[in-house]
Amino acid sequence: MNKRNKFLVFRLSDKILVIIFLFSTVLFFLAKYIFSGSLLNTLILGTMIYSICFVFTYVVSKKFSERITALTMKVEEMAAGNLSKKLTDTGRDEIGQLSNALDGLILRLQTGVAQDVSTHLELRQAKTDFVTLASHQLRTPLSIIKWYVDFLVSGDAGRVNAEQKKYLEEVYASNERLIELVNALLDVSRIDVGTFSIEPEPTDVIEKAETALKKFASIIKEKKIKLIKKYDEFPKINLDPRLTKIVFENLISNAVKYTKVGGVVSVVIKKTSKDIYIKISDTGCGIPREEHPKIFKKLFRGYSAKKIEAVGTGLGLYIVQAVIVKSGGKIWFESPSLDLFLKDGLKNAKIPVSKRNKGTTFHITIPLKGMKSKHGTKKLSSVK
Amino acid sequence: MENNKKILIVEDELAMLNALEKKFLSEGFTVFIAHDGEAGVKIALNEKPDILMLDIIMPKLNGLQVVKKIREDTKWGKDVHIIMLTNLSDPEHVSEAAKYSVFDFLVKTDWRLEEIVSMVKEKLGI
Repeated sequence: MNKRNKFLVFRLSDKILVIIFLFSTVLFFLAKYIFSGSLLNTLILGTMIYSICFVFTYVVSKKFSERITALTMKVEEMAAGNLSKKLTDTGRDEIGQLSNALDGLILRLQTGVAQDVSTHLELRQAKTDFVTLASHQLRTPLSIIKWYVDFLVSGDAGRVNAEQKKYLEEVYASNERLIELVNALLDVSRIDVGTFSIEPEPTDVIEKAETALKKFASIIKEKKIKLIKKYDEFPKINLDPRLTKIVFENLISNAVKYTKVGGVVSVVIKKTSKDIYIKISDTGCGIPREEHPKIFKKLFRGYSAKKIEAVGTGLGLYIVQAVIVKSGGKIWFESPSLDLFLKDGLKNAKIPVSKRNKGTTFHITIPLKGMKSKHGTKKLSSVK
Repeated sequence: MENNKKILIVEDELAMLNALEKKFLSEGFTVFIAHDGEAGVKIALNEKPDILMLDIIMPKLNGLQVVKKIREDTKWGKDVHIIMLTNLSDPEHVSEAAKYSVFDFLVKTDWRLEEIVSMVKEKLGI
């Protein structure tokens, strides 16, 4: 109970005391006037009346004080979020009424909170159900398309001419993009609902980086990108292999995608005293400075990125950040690019992309003791 | 291409079943197929294939229930290779299946047909 409330209660009982004091004084003079007895009689009578009045005052004011104190304490408990107890004041006076009204309020609040919790749980369940439904219902037709186009391309179902093969390969590539999108959406949903698991096991981090690089080897060759690799020697570290793959594939995919022909992509993996430090940099289109705060946001795609690659989910970096942060690591980036839209925007936009910025570098640290394990009912599945 | 290996594929999605059947036939396998878990168990116990490929969500008996019944067969069933085909990547299914010594989970969208065949051949040592 705070000081202000204590003071109020004191003042209330004080008022009662004063009223009763005045009442008893009037009573005393009235008695003296009526009986007009000796001094001794008057004193005895006065003392008796005073005593009765004080005892009466004390009992009444204490009773009121206790009831008001109980009410005040309950209100303070409610303010602190405790809605579990009901008040027990059964008085039929104003305090009793106030207590009843407060009980009604508690009941309504309890129902409201319960409803909020159940609505939240229902929404969570709906999201989880969607993930399961989407996993199965969307992936099944996508697998069927994948397999049957594969049949046709491989010639298992009869010879196809070069043009037909080219078209079929387009269908295959688009279908793969859809699979990626569905996987990414499912992952985002799992991240948002919190159902994704982190299962660290001894993993060779260099091997994971190399596997991801291999996946983009043909594009790196095609774009004549200079690849720089600097790796420290590492023992196996407790990392979730699937999540490590997602992180490398997303960051390397971006670096390769947004770097122009003849550019440089570098992958550095170092051991510091406490962490594995991963640096993936490119000499690509960079990220305009005003877009920096949005880069890890869901569905965000940068202006320069959209110009280079029209199609993209805008989910990759969101997933990567969630994976790193939830597993106890850190991720940040630098892209010393000029503003495109603010102040000198128009002027800057006229400067050729190659001179306007110096690419992007992503930095990641993961503790050497490994990723934090996280129990979950779903695994992330998205790969670029 | 002919090999003497028998494979049973249990999958309720007809188009997938046909694609897998055609692919494994072209690779010289003897292929048995079933559209639901119950039929799958019957064929498995009769034909005793070298490897089973099971979908998880299926009518009558689901993939995990099929595994349980197969493993109850103390001779052939307890050691036969089983691959779970799925479109879910759910650790609960994985740990449930691991109880019955099934460790191969194959998320359908991640695999090309040739890759599935190579994996099966590797398991069977062909």
